[in-house]
Amino acid sequence: MSRIPTVTPRAGVLAVLVAAGLAVLLIKPDFRDSFFSGGGFALGALVAAIALGLVVTYRGSGVVNLANGAVAMYAAYVYADLRTRGDLFVPPLPNPLAPIEGIVHGIQGNRSFSLPHWPTSLDLGGPMSFWPALGLSLVFCVLFGLLLHLLVFRPLRTAPVLAKVVASVGVLLLLQAIVIRRFSTNPQVVRPIPFVSKKRVDLGLFTLTQEQLFVVVLVLVLTAGLWLLFQRTRFGLAVRAAAENEKGATVLGFSPDRLAAATWVLSTTVTGLLGIFVASVNSSLDPNVMPALIIPAVTAALVGSFSSFGWTTFAAFLLGMQVSFVAYLGVNESWFPQTGGLPLPGVDKLVPLVVIVAVLALRGKSLPTRGALSVGRLPFSPTPRAWSLRWAGPVLAIAAAFAGVFLLSPAYRDGLTNTLTGVIICLSIVVLTGFVGQISLAQMAFAGLSAFTVASLSSHHGWPFPLPILAGALVAVVAGVLVALPALRVRGVNLAIATLAFGVVVDNMVFANSAVNGGFDGATAKPPKLIDTNSQAVHKVLGIKIGDGTQPNPLTLVFCLLVVVVLCYVVANLRRSLTGRQMLATRANERAAAAAGVNVAATKVLAFGLSAFIAGIGGAVIAYRSGNVTPDKFTYDKSLVFFAFAYLGGITSVSGALVGGLLVSGGLGFTFLNDQIGLPNEFVLLLGGVGLILTAVANPEGVAGKVRSDVLAFRRRLQARRDSGVQPGAPPPDGHDEVVVPASALPSGASSVAMVQP
Amino acid sequence: MTAPAVGTELLSTRGMSVVFGGLRAVDDLDIRVEAGQLVGLIGPNGAGKTTFIDGISGFVPTQGEISFAGRRIERAPAHKRARLGLGRTWQSLELFEDLTVRENLLVAAQRQTAKGFLLDLVHPDRRSAAVDADVDWALDVLGITDLAGRMPTEISQGQRKLVSVGRTLAARPRLICMDEPAAGLDTSESQEFGRRLRRIIDHGISILLVDHDMGLVLNVCDHLYVIEFGAKIAEGAPAVVTAHEKVKAAYLGERALA
Repeated sequence: MSRIPTVTPRAGVLAVLVAAGLAVLLIKPDFRDSFFSGGGFALGALVAAIALGLVVTYRGSGVVNLANGAVAMYAAYVYADLRTRGDLFVPPLPNPLAPIEGIVHGIQGNRSFSLPHWPTSLDLGGPMSFWPALGLSLVFCVLFGLLLHLLVFRPLRTAPVLAKVVASVGVLLLLQAIVIRRFSTNPQVVRPIPFVSKKRVDLGLFTLTQEQLFVVVLVLVLTAGLWLLFQRTRFGLAVRAAAENEKGATVLGFSPDRLAAATWVLSTTVTGLLGIFVASVNSSLDPNVMPALIIPAVTAALVGSFSSFGWTTFAAFLLGMQVSFVAYLGVNESWFPQTGGLPLPGVDKLVPLVVIVAVLALRGKSLPTRGALSVGRLPFSPTPRAWSLRWAGPVLAIAAAFAGVFLLSPAYRDGLTNTLTGVIICLSIVVLTGFVGQISLAQMAFAGLSAFTVASLSSHHGWPFPLPILAGALVAVVAGVLVALPALRVRGVNLAIATLAFGVVVDNMVFANSAVNGGFDGATAKPPKLIDTNSQAVHKVLGIKIGDGTQPNPLTLVFCLLVVVVLCYVVANLRRSLTGRQMLATRANERAAAAAGVNVAATKVLAFGLSAFIAGIGGAVIAYRSGNVTPDKFTYDKSLVFFAFAYLGGITSVSGALVGGLLVSGGLGFTFLNDQIGLPNEFVLLLGGVGLILTAVANPEGVAGKVRSDVLAFRRRLQARRDSGVQPGAPPPDGHDEVVVPASALPSGASSVAMVQP
Repeated sequence: MTAPAVGTELLSTRGMSVVFGGLRAVDDLDIRVEAGQLVGLIGPNGAGKTTFIDGISGFVPTQGEISFAGRRIERAPAHKRARLGLGRTWQSLELFEDLTVRENLLVAAQRQTAKGFLLDLVHPDRRSAAVDADVDWALDVLGITDLAGRMPTEISQGQRKLVSVGRTLAARPRLICMDEPAAGLDTSESQEFGRRLRRIIDHGISILLVDHDMGLVLNVCDHLYVIEFGAKIAEGAPAVVTAHEKVKAAYLGERALA
């Protein structure tokens, strides 16, 4: 596998087009000023740094770290807090003394008793000046890189791509959650860099401030430095050798593990450094902007084949600079698409998606693969058992309905309803990722498309109640199939990247579009009175009182429950059917599946369609359930969070989706924690992030899978004890009733090791 | 599926080549398999044997003609070729590790339709008795009926090899291309494997066998092709081929025949 980019005619055409585009931008003065703006350069520099960090860790350990934008943000927060207050903030950790306090409070009857808490920050003696703050922040970056390597990605070295993606999403959520917990979402002021000013420097074609010029030069120097390091030193040679073959590095006298650690440190330091400087240039910092830059950054890295630092930086600058240019075009050009008298939002977000699709289409199958990268196996997907279909499912459903209607308080009813809608989204992920192994990070985009369709049809077109649900789900299916088409040639992390970019585009172009979200008036979905969540009606059926005259209406919950029950059985049936077997065959081995007569492409499109359909039903239910459809329910990061909880619950089974639903934000689990120990809502993300990392590292089968394998192991032990007492030579029991240890619970034996092809 | 009369042409390639960059891994190869024949394809390492199987089963792009059961198939995607009755096994087995042995065979034995998919969502366990019969038959021919409920990770490597053949067999193919099925088997296991191959032939299914185990190949094959650097250097009955000077020099050597 050659790492040297081969020049093809298609690439040549593309290069000519890019060069021509740049020429036009340079020649037309107003275009030049808006494209090569100071802000554009600074943004480009940050995107480039995040992308360089991505490339370094990819080359060093084969991980595409989707949290790298969040790393820049986190480093900048550490620095900003040191500069303005001289504090080093501490991640919120569970207070080990809290349960004691809780018990004493319970006995006392009041809350006066108090034990020491974890500090929220370490006071380092007042605001710091630039250099010590920078030095300390960089020390933090180094330690953070080491931690990421040691605690998260080293244990995942041989894990499937899915687990690595999941872990990086976990890190992303965790970093964001910590910052939001400590600083809330308000922008923080960041002090300027002392040795450069906001004085403008004329460079002939364009003018930048000293600060902006400084970060641009710094990124260019770092790019050249990384190139030299990787191409011209023994260290770089060893990293390149290790990427092809871990033995190669060992022969050169380097430990592959230390090399990976070094690249993690290098990556977090480069990323953190630019995060700090660009935040200083912009004078402000918030927890959302930088993590989202992962999308242009990963696009740039893709352009550079996750290998070339030069191309990555070049593409990153273009992707950063187009943002202000697109904004300029939107305001000044009459041909720019308009919506409601305003320029169409989110076009700058569309650019990375277009580039991603173009790169993936041009390169097709020759996407980055690493010599040592093990394909790995996804968690075991069990066949639903007869007793769970016949007994456990109905009992659970009836219990939930009974509790929801007669027992639960309004807060818990709300929690249970959130759990139910969460289960639907998790089920959509089970079908696509659990059964077919395709990673989609855009499930809430499908759900949102459906929800806004429902709102429009039910409130503006007068469609009667159940019909809009189907229409919404069909819209979602169309979107799903559209996403599936590129997915036919793209696998693993590249698919995750493409779907993530798709989610961002839908979020910014469609949901943020006032023609869709109803602008000031909002978008509403009018459910029938019977299941309207705001209805306080009390019904009497056969002398039994239903409803207690408070909101939310318990029948809303019953409606959600009915949908969940139907979809759970649909997904369980799918797993037991030929289609399900074909999906699992595709997931296990696409080539072997094709050789067995499975139409792999059709299976994938089908899975995307069905998954989007289920997510669409989920979106429609969310719309009817809450009455008003707001874009914030369907933002791209919600897709990440749902993916996290689906994985946490167990991504390969219906029971996993049920557990995932219990865990989602606002769901029954958090309602309970909130009610019992007063756990604030911000912790949802925090626990989600930590849980996701732990699950990816230690327990890839999720909560449901873990419980299942533990129960099976226990039953097997009982069986063994019984057998040893009776007859040693007993024939093996019938295979279908035999307890089966999930394959992934077994040590990875020869079975998963592909033989070397001649 | 009724087996075609013995002696009619089942598979033939004319001028088939597979080119990787500048390398001709398969070079202008004409190969013919008749119905009911067990044809061996041998050659030194890197001769292009696996690439040839990949080519006829649709996993690498080819040049030249490929006919199968009277149809030109060189443009058909892999799964269509499988459905026409051109089965194959893999050197590394590639079993579906998440499915039981029986389910592995069912994937190959069953055909999906659009209506079938919708029915699957409400009534998953329906399938014709013929499909179950095909699976039972395949398990029986290979003598692995007792493994049906096991997971591929729980059984021995030799049993896994049989399952991989069984998966192909359950689709009731006309031809099975086997890529080094006997690799790693000891002499007695290999002989037993040869007997099972003959049993498959007795059911009217043809086999194209690629293997390094000369004992097996010379014993069971009706016809042999020897290739080197992607091109054919000899063909004929085993006795004829082993006597061929070029073959001795290229591959067999005196040691292998001793």
